[in-house]
Amino acid sequence: MYGWIWRHLPGNVWLRAAISLLLALAVVYVLFQYVFPWAEPLLPFNDVTVDGEGAAG
Amino acid sequence: MAASTEHDEQADAPPPSDAAPAPAPVRARRPRGPLAAAVSVFGELLITAGVVLGLFVVYSLWWTNVLADREAAKQGDDVRHGWAQEKKPGAAPRTYDSEDGIGFLHVPAMDTGEVLVKKGTSTSSLNDGIAGYYTEPVKSALPWDEKGNFTLAAHRDGHGARFHNIHKLKTGDPVVFETRDTWYIYKVFKELPKTSKYNVDVLQPVPKESGKKKAGRYLTLTTCTPIYTSDYRYIVWAELERTEKVDKNRTPPPELR
Repeated sequence: MYGWIWRHLPGNVWLRAAISLLLALAVVYVLFQYVFPWAEPLLPFNDVTVDGEGAAG
Repeated sequence: MAASTEHDEQADAPPPSDAAPAPAPVRARRPRGPLAAAVSVFGELLITAGVVLGLFVVYSLWWTNVLADREAAKQGDDVRHGWAQEKKPGAAPRTYDSEDGIGFLHVPAMDTGEVLVKKGTSTSSLNDGIAGYYTEPVKSALPWDEKGNFTLAAHRDGHGARFHNIHKLKTGDPVVFETRDTWYIYKVFKELPKTSKYNVDVLQPVPKESGKKKAGRYLTLTTCTPIYTSDYRYIVWAELERTEKVDKNRTPPPELR
């Protein structure tokens, strides 16, 4: 999978490494900005209120 | 540059046909069975999942705090600015707007500085790094009410983690609530380190589990426990000891000095 991406990146080793780094940063950005905020309320780690539903918090 | 690029691409491309005379190295590298390929992809997916979960921990315990601290500081500044404006002569009398914070909670034992308190305990508002007072299932009283229970919730971890150190609060510790005009000084009288999240009775005007029988001016802090999870709820009760007028310099009461 990653090998396939690596082979399809243009340029020499350094350029590919730079592009790989940018791709990784883009993935982290999408995760922090969209995926994690969406997933967090669905996971039971941070409900702080007593309301019997575990919804708020 | 272009030449070297082409060279690299060729080096990584599948071996051209003229490599056929040397079959041994080719067989060692190239024809990977479909099973081997599948296992390889599966392994990479597992590694990826591990990295993503690790990033989620970083997000939960660090990044949400960064965002919440920023937002809470901004909202707190707004409230203080509003107070300063109202102090000026000719300003309209204070009306409590439900959108605004009503004041700041100071808990020296928790060492988290001042915590802005706003109405409601919805996820979206608590995520701003503030504490909220309950509107349901049991409506909170407010500190200036004659009698009742002022009930608050805030995060234990992430999103500002305002009640992270709730376990350091012990009987006798002061909890101070600051409004524009008044310091409300409470003293902790009971901790309940573990209770069910369905136990809404802790929010009642007279919380029986705290040992109180008569109506009074109580304060209830709620958050989740154990740390990093939310299987149970941690409750701390305090009772109003006295109030102090806020002076011109907003000198804090002795408990906060």
